[in-house]
Amino acid sequence: MADQYLNFATSGFGKTLTKQLGLPAPVTLRRYREGAALVPGAILVVGTSALAAEVGELLLAWGQEVRTHDAGNATLGAIVAVLDEVRAPGDLSAPALTMAPALRKLAPGGRVVTISRPASDDDAPALAAARQGVTGLLRSLAHELRGGATGNGIELADGIGLDAPSAQGALRFLLSGRSAYVDGQFIRVDGAGGALPADADRPLAGKVAVVTGAARGIGAAITRVLHRDGATVVAVDVPAAGDALAKVANEVGGTALQLDVTARDAGTKIIEHATGRHGALDIVIHNAGITRDKLLVNMDAAKWDSVMAVNLESQLRMNEAFLAAGLPGLRLVSLASTSGIAGNRGQTNYGASKAGVIGMVGASARAFGALGGGINAVAPGFIETEMTAKIPFGTRAAGRLILPSLQQGGLPLDVAEAISFLASDAAGGINGRTLRVCGQSLIGA
Amino acid sequence: MRETLSAKPRLGALYASAAPRALRRVREVSPDRLPRREAFVEGVRCRPEQLVAYQRLMGDTVRDELPSVLMHGLGFPLALWLLSRPDFPLPLLGLVHLRNEVRHLRPVRPDEVLSVSASAEELRAHHAGTTVTVRTRLFVGEEPVWEGLSLYLAKGVRLAGIEVPPAPRREPLVPPATTARWRLDASTGRRFAAVLGDYNPIHLSALSAKALGLKAPIAHGMYLAGRALAQCAPHGRGYAWEIEFATPVFLPGTVEVNRSSGPGGVVRFSGWNQRSLKPHFAGAVSRL
Amino acid sequence: MASSPSPRRAVIIGGNRLPFARANGAYVGASNQDMLTAALDGLVARFGLQGERLGAVAAGAVLKHSRDFNLSRESVLGTALDPSTPAYDVQMACATGLEAIGSLADKIKLGQIESGIGGGVDTISDAPIALSDGARAGMLALGRARSLKDRMAAVASLRPRDLAPSAPGTNEPRTGLSMGEHQALTTQRWGITREAQDELAAASHRNLAAAYDRGFFDDLLTPYRGLSKDNNLRADSTVDKLAKLKPAFGKHLGDEASMTAGNSTPLTDGASAVLLGSEAFAAEHSLPVLADFVDYELGAVDFVSGEEGLLMAPAYAVPRLLARNGLSLQDFDFYEIHEAFAGTVLSTLKAWEDPEFCSERLGLDAPLGSIDRSKLNVAGSSLAAGHPFAATGGRIVATLAKLLHEKGSGRGLISVCAAGGQGVVAILEAR
Repeated sequence: MADQYLNFATSGFGKTLTKQLGLPAPVTLRRYREGAALVPGAILVVGTSALAAEVGELLLAWGQEVRTHDAGNATLGAIVAVLDEVRAPGDLSAPALTMAPALRKLAPGGRVVTISRPASDDDAPALAAARQGVTGLLRSLAHELRGGATGNGIELADGIGLDAPSAQGALRFLLSGRSAYVDGQFIRVDGAGGALPADADRPLAGKVAVVTGAARGIGAAITRVLHRDGATVVAVDVPAAGDALAKVANEVGGTALQLDVTARDAGTKIIEHATGRHGALDIVIHNAGITRDKLLVNMDAAKWDSVMAVNLESQLRMNEAFLAAGLPGLRLVSLASTSGIAGNRGQTNYGASKAGVIGMVGASARAFGALGGGINAVAPGFIETEMTAKIPFGTRAAGRLILPSLQQGGLPLDVAEAISFLASDAAGGINGRTLRVCGQSLIGA
Repeated sequence: MRETLSAKPRLGALYASAAPRALRRVREVSPDRLPRREAFVEGVRCRPEQLVAYQRLMGDTVRDELPSVLMHGLGFPLALWLLSRPDFPLPLLGLVHLRNEVRHLRPVRPDEVLSVSASAEELRAHHAGTTVTVRTRLFVGEEPVWEGLSLYLAKGVRLAGIEVPPAPRREPLVPPATTARWRLDASTGRRFAAVLGDYNPIHLSALSAKALGLKAPIAHGMYLAGRALAQCAPHGRGYAWEIEFATPVFLPGTVEVNRSSGPGGVVRFSGWNQRSLKPHFAGAVSRL
Repeated sequence: MASSPSPRRAVIIGGNRLPFARANGAYVGASNQDMLTAALDGLVARFGLQGERLGAVAAGAVLKHSRDFNLSRESVLGTALDPSTPAYDVQMACATGLEAIGSLADKIKLGQIESGIGGGVDTISDAPIALSDGARAGMLALGRARSLKDRMAAVASLRPRDLAPSAPGTNEPRTGLSMGEHQALTTQRWGITREAQDELAAASHRNLAAAYDRGFFDDLLTPYRGLSKDNNLRADSTVDKLAKLKPAFGKHLGDEASMTAGNSTPLTDGASAVLLGSEAFAAEHSLPVLADFVDYELGAVDFVSGEEGLLMAPAYAVPRLLARNGLSLQDFDFYEIHEAFAGTVLSTLKAWEDPEFCSERLGLDAPLGSIDRSKLNVAGSSLAAGHPFAATGGRIVATLAKLLHEKGSGRGLISVCAAGGQGVVAILEAR
């Protein structure tokens, strides 16, 4: 699981050698620790709109050191560019050039966050051009950041202000160490629903969450993070993984439910267990997934069908049961993959299933939203797990080192952090979306 | 004639003294040749470690009660002393143990001091030779607590003037159900000898047994009786028991054992070889 | 006394066991403590008992190292349970698990505890090998020796043959006969045919395989060391295949020998645990209730004298249990009769049908009668699953409790025979 190269490249001798050989120089990412500062320095708020002022006030209220216009001598922990009022392409120039000198003061593990409005086909062409332009600016800037710093954006739908819990939730998530491996991405806030947690370190307090595929890898990490964030977790995995599952469940003080998610009654069993034993079902993480990689030319029905059955069809069937049960406020997060966005050689079955998840999430949003909940997906890029350990070495090394802006593979924890955020009430205004956790991998653009 | 010994004789010495005469062939004895002699010894005790070793060897519970076969062993040196007197007519080595009848009159504590009396009582004709009965009695003070008759056979020795009785017809053995099985290893004879001091060479090793014309060492008859009684004998009361030996148990070997209860509280036991279907022993225990 | 009503119920909440593994196979190297800990931890995970202080954990093993004198307590300390959960060891040969569970149920009914886990474990693959008696005596003497002379004497008392280790046997100490040899006598006594035994064995495999297929064990079992099913299970077992096996016990019976490796349980490694509680405990913890543990009864027979078969004690204990509970043998929806050997089950059933046995041995006016065989061991039993001695009781109780809960009503009878001529029988009722 450990990234040997990362350990090597960050050691004293390895660092010198890596530099001389011109190899990528990955750094240890700034990850969330309870009690740590939200960002590693002052926050520069760029922008002149009313929203920019509100953002500054909010950050002050969060106890942050806030600068406007000029960073001065301060080391910057983050730059927040509020671009909600760009009307034409020319409006991007001033904020971009204001940010430019500040970038030199950005601390390792720093953050650049843009807050803008999404472009729409109903916009005037110039407005749409300016709004869409933000994405290109941000994504390119993210590629330029070093030292584990990331650049991400928040797109607030028209009419959504900073008072929307998810606007604040997304901002806190992107600034914090929880978003360590999220890079070059936009979080779209469409609704004003949701609620901010009473305790930012326990955003899932009182929630009952089900995690499928919880015995190992990303699922185990999700289970641990949801527990850390305050949830009671039902850990689900196939009976054959029961021993590892029991360990995870005991570690987090949850319950283990041995269940094949492809079973007809899997959804009902999950509802029965969660409500019967824990009194509620608030969160479902559809994490269970398998790979059966083969070039399509060599593909057989067993490999194709089993991947579709586990990764996609089981989720569809369980979701029907959840909807039928009418569980109020149920939030779901499905595991997609960058392979479902950009495709991956040897993964036609897997790519189809994961692209399918993205489609399913979008099309299920309204139904779950009607119950006061929502459904989103997280698309991990290259994550160091037992499953990715099966990828041939050359592909793996390239996936891990060369392609992402962050020059390293992510950890299961990084995926789990994004999932925990999307599962929380603070993400109540985010629905039907897919968030990539890929270190800004070129795979899938 | 009572001959009181100052101390219990040592079995090893008796066997050694008998060895030279083992080569002496006796073909015939006269019925009246048996010396009228009662051997007597006082101050016989069972050592506590001997009691424990015996009970362990028999798979019995260690408890403060002298087992009947152990009491036989306490008296046996005196009996052997009798049989090894120069004027005893039958050769000691090679005597075959045929049967025992014992009345164990009351439970005997290990700390009770015993006196032993032994006498050879009768020579009788047997189809294979001549038998002698040895009566052994154990007393606590004047009170008899244990009385036993042991029947030994001197093979090939004729009793002068008495017709040899015909050999009884032996019915083929129809084995009863096996209720226990004893697996006896090669050291069984040595271990029994170590506890009771009965180092008769026929029990000790392949070599010593061969020297006396046996194909392998054989289990002590009293070992077999002890095993049977460990299972069948009552505790805390007097009882009578008997055992008859048919064919020897060669070591190492396996004995099939049956135990069954009859009317009047009689427990019968028997042992046999399952492969050859030869009976080894049969006996019974009854309450007194 | 007899008329005083039971103050409250003891309920079975659920169970967990490791897949049973044939000896010297998948679980080589795993100790009793390792396996019992794993079984307990799986149960804790299933019911979210982490950090919970239970009333007691009672478990045991038949083959036990001396270092495992506190096996249950040591296992508890290795689990996610609150370390202030007390634990005690139980040993009643193959009935260890059922006696452990029954004793906990009694404590719950009496109000002494609110919850408990009962179970057992056994491994043949990590069985204790002891010093021979001679070596032990010498070593102990050496330990007691105070002077050089005593020490020298103790060392001198050791003989080379003493150094050969002695492995524990499964032979009965008082008879020297193996359990199989004892059962062969009983099997012959009751005239149980080879065909009948093979049919029972095939049914056991068939039923266990079907139970696995329908996911019955999904919440009764936690995989261990790469095994997620009992590896003695032969789903394709048939009477024809079983008929080809050679007799393994009672060979002296010649043509009458009928007991084979196929209709006798193999030596097996495994562990099981059952969670019991008061109704209040289950309700407070939002835990399911599968069945009531109604009552149980111990029995023993005089097999040393040859008066009765070694494994026939349940035949005597069941009528006493039935009488106490005012039930007949036919008042049950499931019968779980531990398949030590196919012959054991069939001899017991035949004895209950036999007027002479029931009158003379059981003192009954009429025979107990026959049972509906379609209700017997419906999710398989020891012939298919295997029989890690002390773990079998927990397997049976959890299986029966779930069967009853699935059915939603009715009663089940458990019968477990044990070495030493003993047995434990129990009644469960659906919830």
